[in-house]
Amino acid sequence: MNDADIDADVTDRMLLQRMAAGDRIALGVLYRGYHGRLCRFLSRLTRRPDVIEEVINDCFWIAWQKAGNFHGDSRVSTWLMGIAYRCGLKALRQHGDEPVEDDNLPEQRSADHDQDEDRELRDWLGKGLDRLSADQRAVIELVYGVGHTLDEVAVIMQCPVGTVKARLFHARVKLRNLLPALAGEPSKQKENLP
Amino acid sequence: MTFPLDSGRDCVRAWDLMPWVLQDSAPQEQAQWLQDHLAHCASCRAEYAQQSRLRQAMSLPSDIPLDANIGLGRLLARLDTPEARDWRLRARSGNWLTRALVAAVLIQALAIGALGAKLWSAGGVSLYRTLSQEPAPAAAATIRVVPDAAMTLADWNALLHRLQLQVVGGPNDVGAYAVAPTSPASTTLQALQQLRATRGIRLAEPVNSAP
Repeated sequence: MNDADIDADVTDRMLLQRMAAGDRIALGVLYRGYHGRLCRFLSRLTRRPDVIEEVINDCFWIAWQKAGNFHGDSRVSTWLMGIAYRCGLKALRQHGDEPVEDDNLPEQRSADHDQDEDRELRDWLGKGLDRLSADQRAVIELVYGVGHTLDEVAVIMQCPVGTVKARLFHARVKLRNLLPALAGEPSKQKENLP
Repeated sequence: MTFPLDSGRDCVRAWDLMPWVLQDSAPQEQAQWLQDHLAHCASCRAEYAQQSRLRQAMSLPSDIPLDANIGLGRLLARLDTPEARDWRLRARSGNWLTRALVAAVLIQALAIGALGAKLWSAGGVSLYRTLSQEPAPAAAATIRVVPDAAMTLADWNALLHRLQLQVVGGPNDVGAYAVAPTSPASTTLQALQQLRATRGIRLAEPVNSAP
């Protein structure tokens, strides 16, 4: 954990203490600070944009109720991501995993705001992630997207570190075989599989 | 689990290190080792390039068009519902309830400990006997008594009670009972004299005396 992470965690802990005392401004600061991160994490997990806001609000609803019970055993970000993960799994059970094709949904921001290179990257990544399980997508996001360590991911997913390692390994192998082909390169890796 | 590269141990180590070097959480010497390895391993170099692209793609901001302020507004409205207020109150009272339960358990544990210590200091003599325990050895008979055949059982019992005696043997073939004092306070001699003075007692002799 670098200095910036330590500073961010100190700030988050203060916000949680204020939330425990009923300070809604602190809740708003924490909500806005984590909204983008949770939005992206949950979009990897559920692939259902229509339920992501509901899950984020479930997560912060629980954080609001339990702010006083946070004992500081982990970083606040790890604690929050763990709550979001469990809320996301609950949404998965209720709504399923398949992406929705709904014309009423707002157009994805990438169409208007992304540069061509970013759009290409998103497309490349999206096709690769489609082939992973929900847990594999979550591990890839937590390690490569958010930057959590193996131990932190194990806390978030409430499973042994060995399980996280296995999920990460299989996700990387799948992506390794898929992504070059999606980028127009021949897939050489399969030839190397023992 | 098999490693996807048909390479040596260094490539396996390089594969393991890549995510942590990319997120800057690996120690400096490991990062340096990986860079040295990549300098002469084309296969791992290609893998590392792909991993870097993966990290770059994963780091792009969410493309889900959700407005944080709108979501926060809905959350705050939800906090004002009676359900949320009750939940928070329950969470707080539950906290107190848990503490009260813990305190009650501690008090009970202390009381049980104190009771145990008291019983231990009392010498461990229990006022009851379980069926699995060996019976206490009968007291040694000190007097042999022959009551008259006409003496009633009630009179015999009253006599024994008054003289603090108990039957520990008999009657034998001639109707003699062996008795012993129930209390160390009563002496054999006194009991013997009183027995002999009692009407209805035909014979009272100390057990150890010569006939």
